[in-house]
Amino acid sequence: MRKSLLALALAAAFVAPPMVAPALAHPHVWVSVKAEAVLGEDGKITAIRHHWTFDDMYSAFVTANLGKDGQPPTSEELQPVAQTNVDSLKEFEYFTFSKQAGKKVAFGDPRDFSMTYNAKDQVATLHFTLPLARPAETKKVFSFAVYDPSYFVAFEFEKGPSVSLEGGPKGCSISVTKPHALDEKEQQKLNQAMTDNFSPGEDFALRLADRAFVACP
Amino acid sequence: MKSPRARLIIGLALVATAMLVAGEAFAQAKNPFNVGITEGGGAGTGVVGWIIAQQIAFERGLSAAVRAVRSDGGAAWYLAGLSFVYGVFHAAGPGHGKAVVASYMLANERALRRGLVISFLAAILQGVVAIAIVGGLAFLLHATAQRMRDAAALVELASFAGIATLGAWLVWRKGRAFLAAWNAPPASLSAAAVGAVASRFACEAVDADESHIHDENCGHFHMPDPRTLGDRFSWREAALTVVAAGSRPCSGAIIVLVFALAQGLFWAGVASTFAMALGTAITTGALASLAVFAKSAALRVTGGTSRRGELVARGLELAAAFLVMFLGVALCLGYQAAGL
Repeated sequence: MRKSLLALALAAAFVAPPMVAPALAHPHVWVSVKAEAVLGEDGKITAIRHHWTFDDMYSAFVTANLGKDGQPPTSEELQPVAQTNVDSLKEFEYFTFSKQAGKKVAFGDPRDFSMTYNAKDQVATLHFTLPLARPAETKKVFSFAVYDPSYFVAFEFEKGPSVSLEGGPKGCSISVTKPHALDEKEQQKLNQAMTDNFSPGEDFALRLADRAFVACP
Repeated sequence: MKSPRARLIIGLALVATAMLVAGEAFAQAKNPFNVGITEGGGAGTGVVGWIIAQQIAFERGLSAAVRAVRSDGGAAWYLAGLSFVYGVFHAAGPGHGKAVVASYMLANERALRRGLVISFLAAILQGVVAIAIVGGLAFLLHATAQRMRDAAALVELASFAGIATLGAWLVWRKGRAFLAAWNAPPASLSAAAVGAVASRFACEAVDADESHIHDENCGHFHMPDPRTLGDRFSWREAALTVVAAGSRPCSGAIIVLVFALAQGLFWAGVASTFAMALGTAITTGALASLAVFAKSAALRVTGGTSRRGELVARGLELAAAFLVMFLGVALCLGYQAAGL
């Protein structure tokens, strides 16, 4: 009997890895993020305006056969793509995860969405404005991160000036912070999650993502 | 005591329930930036993190390699090499039919060489499907990304259904084999058969009848008729495995093909896809071999030709068959639940 159990354990050990594999995907799409925090006249944050530039390979995929006669696609030709993107992004919370004073900030439906194509670099950029469900005060620090919990898409703030403020009182600032290195306990938790399969928890991927902070005096 | 048949039926019912529950767990909406294929993810550290980092480096390098081919045809070799290595690493990720091929090998095959051929054919088919989708739709019909997505999604659903079909077929055959082994008369010392031939065992009271097998104590039992065990190799089944495991193209290949097409170098994309398939075949083949070794190791541990060993072997095969069916059904259900 003990031998049979051993045999089963042996077999399971070899069959389990491919079953677990779905957790080990890697990104297929790279997006470099530029974002603006839009502030109203009353100094409240009203929206985040996104500019997401896709990598050259994915750009070739989304723009395939859209331009006429070998010309690069125009914004009109790309509008249906932008529409499809923002529609399907809803279920993924626009990959935008915002917090103020430890609380999650909710967003409304996106507006002013479009897609442009840079023929020189052969890359497509998706633009959209994501309004906050309720404008946020700036007295408390407001932050947001852009990331895909499933890691199919790798988001990164663009190098150089990637975030900026639009409007708002003087003295406000916005900056991007890199994630702090994981301490031993967190590393253990992540390793455990890898062996147990499935995600270490949404807040975890968030902790590994770059974060933009808005602060006003 | 309940009859073995009743137990089997109860077991089947339990497994069916588990599958329905798990189907929900598999449900996953497609990423907004997908290329038609369902692929989840998860960042990693350690060895897994390292593998992922390699894939990222290679995939990022592919676009530069395709561009290089435009100015220098010799760069095609560089592109092919890069694609090959990418395929090896990439196949360690989800999809790519590893689970299907390995489980099929566990359920069915004992021959390593056939497993490698099946892995290879599945990988090549994967490449061919990607080329057909991009070549047929984007190149010939000037279809847009949305059309390609739809086509890839349809092929994917078909391959999930194929996995479920293969699993159901295996469960049917292996379930019968298991029952046959279960119902086989227990060991006895009654002599049998005529025409003694040299035996592998110490006791020489043997026969030309291969089904008449002795255990260490010279007791013997009659193996069930091999025909009811379905041990003979079936081309139909192997072909179904190749189709189930290989008809789902990988996103990496689709993206490279479309990119190459945009650069006016479709042939370079095709070369890259086949190099990738070769790499994928190596990873899947390694896993298939592992399944064969694991099985023979398990059988050695339990003493392959005793009645208990026979039951363990059949039970193992049946479990692997269930695994294939489970995977296929769960994938199909998840697909539906995600409303895609």
